[in-house]
Amino acid sequence: MPYPTNSVTTDTLKRGLKSGIEVTWQLAKVMLPIYFTVTLLKHTPVLDAIARFFAPLMGIFGLPGEAALVLVIGNLVNLYAAIGAIASLSLSLKEISILAIMLSFCHSLPVETALAKKIGLSAVSVIAARMALAVLSGLAFNLLL
Amino acid sequence: MVEALREAVVGSLNSIKQIAIIVIPLMIAMEILKDLGFLDRIADWLSPIVRIFGMKKESAFPLAIGIIIGLSYGAGIIFKAAKEYQLSRKDLYLITYFLVSAHAVFEDTAIFAALGVSASLLLLTRLSVAAIFTFLASKAIKDTEKGVNL
Repeated sequence: MPYPTNSVTTDTLKRGLKSGIEVTWQLAKVMLPIYFTVTLLKHTPVLDAIARFFAPLMGIFGLPGEAALVLVIGNLVNLYAAIGAIASLSLSLKEISILAIMLSFCHSLPVETALAKKIGLSAVSVIAARMALAVLSGLAFNLLL
Repeated sequence: MVEALREAVVGSLNSIKQIAIIVIPLMIAMEILKDLGFLDRIADWLSPIVRIFGMKKESAFPLAIGIIIGLSYGAGIIFKAAKEYQLSRKDLYLITYFLVSAHAVFEDTAIFAALGVSASLLLLTRLSVAAIFTFLASKAIKDTEKGVNL
């Protein structure tokens, strides 16, 4: 199989360093533009308007309205982009934890749904299942944390 | 405006630094564990669990790969394993249901942990919910004894 049991060599460390830098680079590439956009939005009335509009819906999960932006970005783009949005907003640890569990179950829908479809699952059922897990876990974290 | 730009530059670089500090050592640790045969160990632990889902015990290996490495990088290996072990379509569906809810769990957990979220809480919730969900799916999906044809 692809990962035979070898011993640990400098090659192992090199591979780890490389993939660590790669993840950080991928993250930076996606996160920077999002972070900049959201920070600039914060200084305009746009973010306030978004926050007010989504406040009732996000309130169900104990989240402020602007958290809707994080969920949308995470689902349409990926987790790294969502992290950029979270980091640029001022959210409490509890709010970030709720977003983290919701996003863990449901993120990067375009890319990951395509993979699931390739295996033969229907896009609708995969997305519905993931969203249900996100909603339930979000509600639970809000109540329990 | 200048104020906002400064805030964006300083804030974003700080967040990236914070994440790099956690992700780079984690990735090195994962490569070490892989070379120590950690994936096979995880697959061994998962074997009894996949049996509960009514899956072939060999399903544990592609499942372990997806949980650790992730969907995008792991997809090729998952397909290959499914073919090699002649997993049934139901097995492959259940693997996928588990993995869409929990994949690349260490990497994802690490980047949220960098923001201060409890890593163990995230990890345990994600894995146990994915397992319960897969169990329910295993009851709901009808058994078709057809092999995988990819």
